Amino acid sequence: MSYIEVNNLKKDFVVKKKREKGKLLRERDTVHALKEVSFSVDKGELVGYIGPNGAGKSTTVKILSGILTPDGGEVSVGGLVPYKERRAHVKNIGVVFGQRSQLWWDVPIVDSYNLLKDIYRIPQGDYEARLKELAQALQLEELMRTPLRLLSLGQRMRAELCGSLLHRPELLFLDEPTIGLDAVSKLSLREFLKWENEEYGTTIMLTTHDMEDIAALCSRVMVLGHGQKLFDGKLPDLLERFDTVRNVQVKFDVPNPNLKLPDGVEWSQSEDGIELSYEPSVLPTAQLLSILQEAGNISELTLQPENTDHLIAAMYKELDL
Amino acid sequence: MRAYLSVFKMRLRMELQYRGAMIGGILCQMFFGLVLVALYKTLYDGNPQPMPFSSIATYVWLQQAFFRMMLGSDSDLLDKIRSGDISYDMCRPVNMYGFYYARIMAQKFMGSIMRAVPMLILAAILPMGYGISGPASVWGLLSAIPALFLGLLCVCALENITMAFTMKTLDPRGMQGLLNLLMMTLSGNILPLTLFPDSWQKVITFFPYAQLLDAPIRLYTGDYLPVDALRVYALQGFWVIVLVSLGVAMWNANKKRMVVQGG
Amino acid sequence: MNTLRLYFKSIGMLLRSHLQYPSSFIMQTIAQLVMEGGEMLAVILIVDRFNNLKGWSGGDLYFFFGMMSVSFYLTEMFGRGITGDFPMMVRTGKLDTFLVRPRGVLTQVLCAGTDPRRITCVAVGVAALIMGSNLSDIVWTPLKALVLVESIAMSCLLILGLFMIEAIFSIFSVKSVELVNAITYGGRSACQYPIDVYPLPLRALFTVIAPFALTLHVPASWILDKPLYGWPAWTAFVTPLSGVLVFGIMTGVFHLGMRHYRSTGS
Repeated sequence: MSYIEVNNLKKDFVVKKKREKGKLLRERDTVHALKEVSFSVDKGELVGYIGPNGAGKSTTVKILSGILTPDGGEVSVGGLVPYKERRAHVKNIGVVFGQRSQLWWDVPIVDSYNLLKDIYRIPQGDYEARLKELAQALQLEELMRTPLRLLSLGQRMRAELCGSLLHRPELLFLDEPTIGLDAVSKLSLREFLKWENEEYGTTIMLTTHDMEDIAALCSRVMVLGHGQKLFDGKLPDLLERFDTVRNVQVKFDVPNPNLKLPDGVEWSQSEDGIELSYEPSVLPTAQLLSILQEAGNISELTLQPENTDHLIAAMYKELDL
Repeated sequence: MRAYLSVFKMRLRMELQYRGAMIGGILCQMFFGLVLVALYKTLYDGNPQPMPFSSIATYVWLQQAFFRMMLGSDSDLLDKIRSGDISYDMCRPVNMYGFYYARIMAQKFMGSIMRAVPMLILAAILPMGYGISGPASVWGLLSAIPALFLGLLCVCALENITMAFTMKTLDPRGMQGLLNLLMMTLSGNILPLTLFPDSWQKVITFFPYAQLLDAPIRLYTGDYLPVDALRVYALQGFWVIVLVSLGVAMWNANKKRMVVQGG
Repeated sequence: MNTLRLYFKSIGMLLRSHLQYPSSFIMQTIAQLVMEGGEMLAVILIVDRFNNLKGWSGGDLYFFFGMMSVSFYLTEMFGRGITGDFPMMVRTGKLDTFLVRPRGVLTQVLCAGTDPRRITCVAVGVAALIMGSNLSDIVWTPLKALVLVESIAMSCLLILGLFMIEAIFSIFSVKSVELVNAITYGGRSACQYPIDVYPLPLRALFTVIAPFALTLHVPASWILDKPLYGWPAWTAFVTPLSGVLVFGIMTGVFHLGMRHYRSTGS
């Protein structure tokens, strides 16, 4: 049995509609946030959980962390059922909500950690060692006496992470951890998460809209849409499945090369050269390159990096999300 | 003037939307009224007073019915002040004092009418002397209505002063709380002013807080005779002028300060 | 024991947060004093005009008022998480963060709110208690002191239990402030006077549903040597326990409600 087991998980929400004129009671609508989602995660895995807004990502995380009770199906994390054995379960997990703080707003962050020590009943010695280690890894040493409200967004996220890892959880949930962060903060955050995962074998599940998070961190990615699991596997496989169109930028020595392109390749000419987009399944890359070489002397050739955001957009579109 | 009228109309429509809160508020206020009337009834049982009990019951019901006129501040506006968004409003090409005066008045007018009408109907059908009595005379009723309107003008001016204080200190709860609580006691909400010691009443009835509801209620119950109405209006009018001038001065001072700060 | 330590540590921290804005804090504390002073003034003026209320002397009335003030505002001071902040905790998702920690939800809600400004209200209540005790010539015995403490503690639990109704409604995002206020603030307003001045329906309400009569009036009358309805002495010890009963029931309902909690946000 895997560390996290989810079988046919279901969750419905009843949404009240706006009252229509002349009707006494408001009509209700049932929204299926999750319809029979199943997956399992092994200990030490780093899983990315993606999908458009309203796909059911947060609902899954909330059920797994014991906040919500599901309407059907089975869940177990480390042998415990989160919503039934909430207290025993949450001892082993850490949760970082992207938008809401778990620390106290007006007091120095170290005071918040001190209180968390009592909440999680962490032994003093253990707490001191762990705090020192985390403070170093997250570059928080200088900020310990600063109230949370005076920290920048990036500092705040690091402070939250520290708070959620003090009790050495086996499993860490991150809800859009890099949202709103600058590039440097994002990079250092990813580095830290990798370190925590490798050093302690902490299982990490993160929801995100940022494909770079997934590319940099996750060995495995799950795609959720309309309350259903649509993909579960490695990121390259996902890319291959949906990365249908590629872009190439090419510049020739001669101003008007004799370029004969087959059907299905779109191109446009500009000052920087010629931009092409093609589908490797229709026209293999090698074949395209030879066509280009025949046309003239190539002075510059760029295969544009895969733009994962576009890819996701394409994927959502194809899957009708 | 058209700008103020449209602000007034917009707030009226907004007030109409909170029906659920309104029904809850009416029931809550009815309950408070019942408790108070029951209490005064028992008090009167052993110790008859010069002022008849029916007047006290009527006083309590009218106070409860128009409670919303006194409290129920504009929380939107307070949030705006705290967050500093009010400086955007300051840029509008209308007089800000008038703008907020219209806004507050719409809220208080609609809020209290919508609550007062059902409450007074309910209070009128209560049995055994618990309910509200009719006016002392037709003239009593007729003279109370302009007094109530002048009271409304007065309370809006008072609230605008509170707002001006809040803008200065940026702390809505401190000063506002203090002024509101003063209002609760001195307007007769906690204890009818007619039950205050007679010597105190002579002073308290001159305060602006007594002009809001106490003066119109006394005209209604006949505690002030209709022939005194002009004197009552004059006092109310005096306070309206004083409070509005004070409020305008404070808003202008705040505006200058804001411009200087560049906020 | 650990839970109690956690509570006081949390409260200490919240207190320091409040003191980060000292002028606002002082201003609000004064405002509270004016408010409760106004309420007290009303009682004094009533005594001044009517002398007594159905056989209860002025001193008795101050004593009842003091009991209610102390109980009510101690509850608001230490139970702010329930008496004021809970709907906000649901709205902002703060409640979610409590659910992912290995402690009781109610414990954490209580740990997350305090209203130290109410200290002046409690002080007014204590002053009223002392005034009432002196005027009514209460002869204090250890037993009476014990009943006083029991009565206040149980009334606090009762008040907390009543405020939990609003908390329970807000779990289902139903707004009920006004209605619940009728029984909480309304209960305070009504029951700061002895219960036997009210007609039967109100007496029944405050004996059976919101039993202030049992937690507060029965023991207080016994302390004043004027037993309510002539009930025997033992009732002064037993009836206040209804406070813990109400609190227990509401806690049960609260936890039942939490099972259907649906959280907010995406």
